[in-house]
Amino acid sequence: MELQAALAEYERNGIAVFAISYDSVGTLGAFSDKYSIAYPLLADEGSVVIRRLGLLNEQLQEHHAFYGGSVRDDQLGVPYPGAFILDERGVVIQKRFEDSYRARETAVGILEGAFGMVSEVHGPEATAMHEGVTVRAYLDSPTYRSMQRLRLTVELRIADGLHVYGTPIPDGYVPLTMEVGPVDGMVIGDLEAPEPIPFTIPGLDEAFQVYEGSVKVALPLTFELATADQVLDVTVRYQVCSATDCRPPAALQLQLPVSVLNHVERPG
Amino acid sequence: MPTPQPFPSTDFMAIGPPVGVRFPDVVLPDQHGTLVDLHATRGTRPALVVFYRSARW
Repeated sequence: MELQAALAEYERNGIAVFAISYDSVGTLGAFSDKYSIAYPLLADEGSVVIRRLGLLNEQLQEHHAFYGGSVRDDQLGVPYPGAFILDERGVVIQKRFEDSYRARETAVGILEGAFGMVSEVHGPEATAMHEGVTVRAYLDSPTYRSMQRLRLTVELRIADGLHVYGTPIPDGYVPLTMEVGPVDGMVIGDLEAPEPIPFTIPGLDEAFQVYEGSVKVALPLTFELATADQVLDVTVRYQVCSATDCRPPAALQLQLPVSVLNHVERPG
Repeated sequence: MPTPQPFPSTDFMAIGPPVGVRFPDVVLPDQHGTLVDLHATRGTRPALVVFYRSARW
């Protein structure tokens, strides 16, 4: 139970968790007992709420036809799988639904990506240090399974008086980027990075965007296949400068192991 | 496990309660049969509301 495993982190951050499906109270009770679920599993039998909220997955039939399967009667009434993020007033601030039919984020990934909280629980991490910058990389989960989206977070701690570049950037300078070596079936999403701050050097026309102090960037990695344990080769590129001079561009290599999880776990 | 193929995509921002609006009132029984009022239970806490296919399949 991935969400159950992360529940303490949600509670520590004062976030309520609810899961809704069309299962009966009996089904959910048995499931809850088996996996020791401590958050509410709400039983929307007959999919009344799912329909009222406009979340009924009408694509399911079409989807199964697309893959050559068929839909059993008891599979009708399912919602689009995904999550709503509510603020303190109960207002929807984000919708986390996936384009890809079954891709799912991890609970820790949502905690960090949607709520902006820092989880104390995550996958293995690797650190490296070069040119006054300490780089720490970690995955939000030590395991992955088919159609799951993990977040690769890279945190840079930049020594005082130094900065690294963001984008846009004038020609000839290297911005902060990260790459992950190819893994069969792994799709790399767009880099999530905070807004850099403008930086100008007296006497130069060029406008720079920089990061100072501590900066955290993340890369969504969607695993469409779960074939084998992997070691992700992460390359973090950046160029360190002070107000007066720049070092050569750096490329730090880090390795993060992630093991495959083939047994089915639900609900997310 | 078949290799995933491109499937007609859905505009998920158009599905379900919109961003910027209070999430609708939901009162449903939990796994113990106790009625749960989502907003009342949430109180003043932010919340994660997950919709999933089923605990059975």
